[in-house]
Amino acid sequence: MIKHLQIKSGQKKIVPLILTGDPDGVTYSVDLLGRGAELTLLLLLFGQNSAKMPVNINVVHHSPETKSRVLIKGVITDNSRADISGLIKILPGAVGSDAWLSAKLLLLSETASGQVIPNLEILENEVKAGHAASVGRINETELFYLMSRGLSEPKAKELLIKGFFAGLLREFPQQYVKQAEKLLAPII
Amino acid sequence: MTGATRLADLKKSYRLGFHQPESAVFKTPKGLSRDIVSAISHHKDEPEWMHDFRQQSLMIFEQKSLPAWGADLSGIDFNSLHYYLDPSDRRSHTWNDVPAEIRDTYEKIGIPEAERRFLAGVGAQYDSEIIYHDLKKQWEDQGVIFVGMDTALKAYPDLVRRYFGTVIPPSDNKFAALNSAVWSGGSFVYVPAGVQVSIPLQAYFRINAANLGQFERTLILAEEGSSVHYVEGCSAPIYSSDSLHAAVVEIIVKKGARVRYTTIQNWSNNVYNLVTKRMLVEEEGVGEWIDGNLGSKITMKYPSVILNGKGAKGEVLSLAFAGPGQHQDAGGKAIHLAPYTTSTITSKSVSLGGGRSSYRGMVKVAKGAHGSKSFVRCDALLLDQLSRSDTYPVNIINEPDVSLGHEASVSKVGENQLFYLRSRGLSEAQATSLIVNGFIEPIVKELPLEYAVELNRLINLSMENSVG
Repeated sequence: MIKHLQIKSGQKKIVPLILTGDPDGVTYSVDLLGRGAELTLLLLLFGQNSAKMPVNINVVHHSPETKSRVLIKGVITDNSRADISGLIKILPGAVGSDAWLSAKLLLLSETASGQVIPNLEILENEVKAGHAASVGRINETELFYLMSRGLSEPKAKELLIKGFFAGLLREFPQQYVKQAEKLLAPII
Repeated sequence: MTGATRLADLKKSYRLGFHQPESAVFKTPKGLSRDIVSAISHHKDEPEWMHDFRQQSLMIFEQKSLPAWGADLSGIDFNSLHYYLDPSDRRSHTWNDVPAEIRDTYEKIGIPEAERRFLAGVGAQYDSEIIYHDLKKQWEDQGVIFVGMDTALKAYPDLVRRYFGTVIPPSDNKFAALNSAVWSGGSFVYVPAGVQVSIPLQAYFRINAANLGQFERTLILAEEGSSVHYVEGCSAPIYSSDSLHAAVVEIIVKKGARVRYTTIQNWSNNVYNLVTKRMLVEEEGVGEWIDGNLGSKITMKYPSVILNGKGAKGEVLSLAFAGPGQHQDAGGKAIHLAPYTTSTITSKSVSLGGGRSSYRGMVKVAKGAHGSKSFVRCDALLLDQLSRSDTYPVNIINEPDVSLGHEASVSKVGENQLFYLRSRGLSEAQATSLIVNGFIEPIVKELPLEYAVELNRLINLSMENSVG
């Protein structure tokens, strides 16, 4: 899927995406063209078998007071692999812009792997910009705690994975939440 | 004294922008060829294997292209550079033996003082040759070796031959190949097993001849359970034609050893500073880079730690300061090859007056390096609307049992902070200096005292020129 999106002055767009192993992955480039344009891009990744999931997100802030939030969360299992690269660019003159890019991956199997490249190019100083990335597996301490309360290991893992996605799913528009939960059912 | 006059005084007292007339003894013609490489090797009376190593490296250099990423290097004219210059016939061991003119230069940077106070050994590099060496007797007794690379090649041929080019082979990149072909100077440090070198070893590097490329080569070898801190500082007079600095630093940290390498680099604003630095850390070893980049026209430098043994630990602290016309492309790399290895990369960059600073880094966790942890933090401060800041982090994870975190932020000097400080009577320049110094403090506090002081002064000077 290759998409190009332009957001005009005063528009606020929410782009919810779910990727479960499309070999072409997702390429999304977004231009924030008018004053006050806002983007929220939410991407849920779920990789199983030997799915390859290339993700490429480009956001360019052209105008003042534009805002972008790109939130990516993925669960990777079996032999699958996620390749996430993102670029947030703030051009000169886009004063008061606010950009945030976050990518978090949970690796569930011994052979799962991931690559995260969150780039920033900031050419204006009157801005706020940041990014965060993390890659890891299920927190042993949390798992131990849940199991000590009488939950089986699969049940405890299910809860933790649900919890990992919950923060992002909460931001999804209502009609997508059901769909997302259905797609995620196989791992949970 | 008001802040403005204090800054003005500092500017007056900034003594690093001077240069001495050249008095070279042996200098190769401009450009690079097999003959020039042979001439360097023969002039230094090197063994055959080194001569061959140089020739092979030259071939690799000619085959490799410039990196397709990073800063713009198209301005380097490899044919207009001198690749070797030997400023002095004499190799000396006491201060009084050093030629007066060169001694004068060092006097101005303050080496003898620093030596008296903090240092036990000084290897000072003037142009391409180490001309002055002094090592406190206690270390010689312990078996610590701290000599120029050229001396080491003659005095410890087996050690050098065994490790030279093993961490950074000539084929690593174009500039590593160039260095391997024409290297001269740099330090060789050997710390025997179990020896703790408590006072930093220090070498000063200077480029003093216009159009002179500097290609020093440093090799540090810390045997099992030893520890050493090596400090390198650079400052260079200002010239109109471009100079190239392409150093290679190889460090081997054996089991349970600890090496810290501190650099404050302040080349003049026409120098291309392209350095390859890498540390190989074995089991339970600790390798640390502290890397400050203030000067130069373009810097491309990514100190790396290769964590090759169980429980090895690596740390990179990178500081970049990009003023007008400068591009600091700096960062760090951590390659986890063994279980339970940990790495931390902290980068702080400041851009002002149209300068550009880029963080470029990589964390790679290989399959099987389970239980590894890595954390990368990069913060950028943009002081005006002309400047630019980039972050290019690469994280490649091929092992599920890891914990990797990466955070970055870009900000400007906060209006509230500025307002508060000004309401307490500080000028805008003073307030900004204070905020910038606070921003870089996590790195500055790791520096030896005299470097921290010099760094603060340099930053105050830059602020004065740009703010208000």
